[in-house]
Amino acid sequence: MASVSSATAPAGVRAIGPRQLVLGGVLLAGLVVLALLPQYFLLSSEQRTMAGVFMFVALAQGWNLIGGFAGYPSFGNVVFFGLGGYTTAILMAKSGVAFWLALPAAAAVGVAFAVLMGLPVLRLRGHYFAIATLGVAEGVREVVVNLDGLTGGNSGITVPAVGAKAVTSYPGNTGFYFYFLALALLATGVVWLVSRSRFGYGLRAIAQDEEAAAAAGINTTRLKVAAFALSGLLTAMAGAMYAFQQVTIYPARLFSVDITVLMVVMAVIGGTGTVIGPVIGAVLLQFLSEWLRTNYTDLHTFIFGGIIIVAVVLLPMGIVSFARESWAHRRISLLDTIRAYRL
Amino acid sequence: MTQFLQATVNGLLDGGLLALVAVGFSLVWGVMNIVNLAHGAFVLIGAYIGWKLDSSAGIPPLLAMFVAAAALLGVGYLVQRYLINLVVNAPIWMTLLLTFGLSLVLVNGLVLLFTGDFRSIPTSYGSDGLTLGDVRIPYGRLIAFAIAIAFTLGLVWFMDRTRLGLAIKATGMDRGAARLMGVKVRRVYGLTFGIAAGLAGAAGAIYGTVDTFSPADAGGFTLQSFVIAVLGGLGNMWGALAGGLLLGVVQAWSGQYLGGTLINAVAFAVLVTVLIVRPAGLLGKPYYEARVEV
Repeated sequence: MASVSSATAPAGVRAIGPRQLVLGGVLLAGLVVLALLPQYFLLSSEQRTMAGVFMFVALAQGWNLIGGFAGYPSFGNVVFFGLGGYTTAILMAKSGVAFWLALPAAAAVGVAFAVLMGLPVLRLRGHYFAIATLGVAEGVREVVVNLDGLTGGNSGITVPAVGAKAVTSYPGNTGFYFYFLALALLATGVVWLVSRSRFGYGLRAIAQDEEAAAAAGINTTRLKVAAFALSGLLTAMAGAMYAFQQVTIYPARLFSVDITVLMVVMAVIGGTGTVIGPVIGAVLLQFLSEWLRTNYTDLHTFIFGGIIIVAVVLLPMGIVSFARESWAHRRISLLDTIRAYRL
Repeated sequence: MTQFLQATVNGLLDGGLLALVAVGFSLVWGVMNIVNLAHGAFVLIGAYIGWKLDSSAGIPPLLAMFVAAAALLGVGYLVQRYLINLVVNAPIWMTLLLTFGLSLVLVNGLVLLFTGDFRSIPTSYGSDGLTLGDVRIPYGRLIAFAIAIAFTLGLVWFMDRTRLGLAIKATGMDRGAARLMGVKVRRVYGLTFGIAAGLAGAAGAIYGTVDTFSPADAGGFTLQSFVIAVLGGLGNMWGALAGGLLLGVVQAWSGQYLGGTLINAVAFAVLVTVLIVRPAGLLGKPYYEARVEV
């Protein structure tokens, strides 16, 4: 998949050679394995862990669109997650709307908010953009806390999942395994399509030099807002599923800065602007995080922070680029990557 | 009216301390283009040093704050010199991630060492105050305010009047040119970060005397520093002072009239508005503008 997405092939050219066939076969086999896993191999709790992994694949891909392709490091993407989750929870709990109607509604809220927020905020660059998005996310969280008539405030809101009031029956761990798997596939598919489309090349141009991109005739505002909206769509859908899965949701969790940081770390460690990078990053880090949580409960966050530090210093360009470089030069040298970015 | 005056005075007193918290953050951002997400953790380390020295050795906080400042100066220098310098030239989210990881380690280290309980540093003058008309000014906050302003002005003097301060400024303006003039940029970066951490540590030790704190407060300090740095313009110390006072007052007003839980929302509404209307801050321009780094 990574090689398909690489920027060497011009957009629109889709040669199907033996390499593509092999890749397609591997992909198909992987999907079959993933589809069969819950029934034959995984315990219920392991399915839940896997659902978490898939969710973060979708979140990291969502961030990849705006942060990786367009080069706008959003530190507030969790706002879409929270809004998606709260839209779903409110619709299901207060209006008795079925999950399958609440999910597209949440996605629509994500897109609408991304456009409204993006139009002013995407005019900012670099740290200013990062912080403005962070500020919006924190501000929205406090608004959600204070609208306690609608959202339940800090005591949270509960989706009716069992009993007579349950509009959509709770799908259980196996159900959510497939929901989140589908979402992760959708997100990765979207990123793959973007990566080889005119839209994707426009975003890459913006990331490299926005003035030059504008001079070359790219409508930078429209592309950036579109990327942000797509990012908001995927992230809000993840939030919607997460809210249903958790049953009771709280603003502190659904708008947590940690979720934003996790998606950034996953995309960055895997490789920003690539299709497969965020998948690798999300899978690695989420398993690592779960493993640390079960084995070193007290030290979990402490060690995780240390891992972030080490990973950023050793792999600043991400695993995918590192692997490509190492393959191209036929040697593995972490020192080279450090030399590239140090003072 | 009394309420309004009292809120304003409280806000100004808090704002002075906030300015000291933020001035180092602004300096680091302005000079090195690094947003240090571990800044709040440094503030808390300072607070815990002050608390520990007071509770185990009986050293008063006014003395302990110098210990905290010195300790964090050293820590900050080492962190910048041997860690952050490694990724200074990477895309900006790398330094954001690195300092976030650092913040996780430091904050959870504090939880492991001191638990997550709320602490405060008792002082002999803590409960006294003077009354002007209907407005009450507690001595503790007044002293904290005075110290914070003194430190901030001291930093302004240092930056304008010493060789090292000028070297820091020069590095912030143009790293390549500073190098050509013989400035040892790696060391200057380390010292800049150390000074910022030291001021944060002093601010933390003072903060402990006027309010309770726990490791969970680290994020709040970092976010407030963001707001102040942006309000004042990056690397602008007078701006940080003005931004701190402004944020303190705005937060006090919103706490008075909107209810306490919207304080951050108001702060960020101010921030986002300022960013969109005047991205360079209310006072002056940041050092860092679009330019090629050498």
